[in-house]
Amino acid sequence: MRLLAEVTATHQDTMEICSGGGFLCTINHNTLISTGVAMLLVLLLGFFVRARINNGKPGSLQMVFEAVLSYARKLTTDNVAEDAEFIVPIAVTIATFILIANWVDFFPLAKPLLPANSDWNLTLAMAIVVFVIVQWYCIKATGIRGFFYRFTKPFDMPIWARIMFLPLNVIEELLKPVTLSLRLFGNILAGAIMVQLLAALPIWASVPALSIWKAFDVFFIGSLQALIFMLLTIIYFGMAREALHAEQHGPAGAAH
Amino acid sequence: MADPTALSGALIGAGIALGGGAIGAAVGDGLAGNAAIQGTARQPEMAGRLQTTMFLIVGLCEAMYFINLAFVFVLISQAK
Repeated sequence: MRLLAEVTATHQDTMEICSGGGFLCTINHNTLISTGVAMLLVLLLGFFVRARINNGKPGSLQMVFEAVLSYARKLTTDNVAEDAEFIVPIAVTIATFILIANWVDFFPLAKPLLPANSDWNLTLAMAIVVFVIVQWYCIKATGIRGFFYRFTKPFDMPIWARIMFLPLNVIEELLKPVTLSLRLFGNILAGAIMVQLLAALPIWASVPALSIWKAFDVFFIGSLQALIFMLLTIIYFGMAREALHAEQHGPAGAAH
Repeated sequence: MADPTALSGALIGAGIALGGGAIGAAVGDGLAGNAAIQGTARQPEMAGRLQTTMFLIVGLCEAMYFINLAFVFVLISQAK
């Protein structure tokens, strides 16, 4: 038990940059460093692919990116709308960043370089950005009336039942960024804690266990969580349009 | 330094939370795998797409368990 406490106590190193306290004065420098490394790698990768772009004979890296982009574009046109192409760069950028940030975790880095996504501040920030853009898109696509109409969700119910569902729908909408960020954060933090626990074993046990766990955690869970974050981003954009579909069927879903 | 009552409460709560989360995640994984096997048995040519979707659902199900795990560590360190 002492081990667990030590692991979690050393996990979030913070630094006070000014007196007076408060969360604005505290920086988590290990998160900043690992986020910076991941951002640098994403930028380098992006410029590298851009510089070597070739229309006639694409290289393998370019083909990977084209496959990812066309997958995201197909998801967007299927789930959201034909004219919602602006979602593709947002979703793919976030997915690439999460993917790189998780894969950097593969290297046996020392203490200041914990995986960037094992800090809730980072994942919550990404989720809030997605949430704000989703609300903006909802107002843009369905109008201010559709924005409020969406919160009376079971559209084919009588009006008194839909009013009773109002608080539930508001809570559901507000919890979306929380669950979106906690999913990523929990997975990566649990992986990092597991790595530290395995590293505390005797060396003949920890080396094989760590190599298996790192391969599973970094490459499988890391890629899966990046994919899930991208997918849920696109699906949330699609859910922002559901008032539009309901109104096409007539008021209170009479056409069902 | 730590209050033993608070620590024991935190440990018991952590055990219950982890156990319940493990039950839920295991049932969810099993349902996803069951549906994927049935779908593959009906239409073997769909196996690739079903597998992708199954891993996605498994990731979503297990996320709840991992959230539990992370918060259990946080709660134990708070009670320490």
